[in-house]
Amino acid sequence: MVRLPKGATFLKPVPALALLYLLWEATAWVFHGWPSPRAVFGVLAADFQQPAFRSALAGSAWRMAVGYALVVLIGIGGGLLLGRIPLVDQIMGSFAVAIHAIPGAAWVPLSVVWFGMTERAVIFTIVLGAAGIVMVNTDTGIREVPPFIARASRTLGARGWTYFWFVVVPAAIPKMVDGLRLAWAFGWRALMAGELLTSVSGLGQLLSQVAKAGQLDGLLAIMLLIAVIGVTIDWLIFKRLEHAVRVRWGLAS
Amino acid sequence: MRVEIQHVCKSFPHNGSTLEVLQDVSLTVEEGQFVCLLGPSGCGKSTIIHLIAGLERPTSGHVLVDGRPVTGPDPSRTVVFQDAALFPWLSVLGNVEFGLRMAGVEPRRRRARALEYIRLVHLSKFVHAYPHQLSGGMKQRVAIARALALQPAILLLDEPFASLDAQTRAVLQNELLEIWELARPTILFVTHNVREATGLADRVYVISSRPGRIRDVQDVSVPRPRRAEDPVLLAHQHKILGLLGEEVEKVLREELGETVHFPEAQHPAPPEGSLGMHI
Repeated sequence: MVRLPKGATFLKPVPALALLYLLWEATAWVFHGWPSPRAVFGVLAADFQQPAFRSALAGSAWRMAVGYALVVLIGIGGGLLLGRIPLVDQIMGSFAVAIHAIPGAAWVPLSVVWFGMTERAVIFTIVLGAAGIVMVNTDTGIREVPPFIARASRTLGARGWTYFWFVVVPAAIPKMVDGLRLAWAFGWRALMAGELLTSVSGLGQLLSQVAKAGQLDGLLAIMLLIAVIGVTIDWLIFKRLEHAVRVRWGLAS
Repeated sequence: MRVEIQHVCKSFPHNGSTLEVLQDVSLTVEEGQFVCLLGPSGCGKSTIIHLIAGLERPTSGHVLVDGRPVTGPDPSRTVVFQDAALFPWLSVLGNVEFGLRMAGVEPRRRRARALEYIRLVHLSKFVHAYPHQLSGGMKQRVAIARALALQPAILLLDEPFASLDAQTRAVLQNELLEIWELARPTILFVTHNVREATGLADRVYVISSRPGRIRDVQDVSVPRPRRAEDPVLLAHQHKILGLLGEEVEKVLREELGETVHFPEAQHPAPPEGSLGMHI
């Protein structure tokens, strides 16, 4: 393995990406009708010139932002209630796990029944597809306060609500962040499923349009864009956040 | 404050049966006294600290502070734990302020008080550092400052320096004595290091293991600062090591079976200049 200097670790996936590119180029040579990478990038570049494409992209981004904000609110709020209040846990605990077990795409039909083919149905899909994991992780986190932390805080006078807010909640943050990172991935998938199956203007809907029109290069271009956005946000925000939190909490160096 | 433990027994459930950790332990610590609890690992020393801190209740017997039974933790009795047990999400300042914050001290006053104790443990340069950035010795300094910031009448230390290297331990022992002479809290200090116990304490309780019982009490009346080679200290150490040798043997026999044989010279007197004798 070549050791990269500090600050250049973002170059790590370059060899793998280069290999992938070459393979793609080769398959495009062999199979007639399979678009080459250059053709796909060309289509993508052309897509960005179109106002309709850009507004679809903005629409997806907006829905994801609203959906994710609700996921954070409901997931963390619900998880805190589950972990703090035994009665809520008894009534809602298994319910939260059940919601968490249903894939995002499976919520679309119900969302459409309730909200019609609207933006709200898509946001509802994101929330149900991603809030469960945040809830379950938050709940687990606040139940697993390290005993030495619990003991130390009690000798320093923490009890009741002060113990909860100043000890239990911060101790649970690494678990919450794990949940938030997964929720981004789940939510992004749920967004695509929602847009594909409703006719709300967005990346998902563009995907079904180009598929119906038989434009294979256009289809690949949008899929590539979906993957790149998903991975980029995960790397730039969530992976960094997770690492920073793990270092400070003494879980990684 | 005066600490009294009267005929305390403590047992825990363990693999379906009960494990007796303390058996009929009685001890008294006078106000402002520095007392060490010395014994082999697993003898229930930490349990005594937890009982006085109010983190555990005795199975039978009484734990009294100024004549009143201990019913739970209280800011007048703070603890320095072996692993420091700092809050990793708080800076040095945040950790030292924690108890004051719980007590509802207003921000400006608690900050000033925290900074004062951070200065006392020589960490002024690291006020805004986080625990993961500190060495083991620095973490223990923070833990001591955090426990002192509440100005406790009783300071409980549970093998606070056990995981530190010899030099750091010696420095922190001296600093602890300085702090004690400044504020004069009642101190209960748990250790399995004979030198540490005789070097620090006014009185050493030697605790036997499984179940923990008071095996011996040694009043160390050597004035401070104490020299490591003081003959009176050496005599105390020699006596304690003799008692503890039997104890350590007992523990090892239990753990390893009856086949282990111990030669006579198992516990030599500490060599000149060494910083401590572990058991």
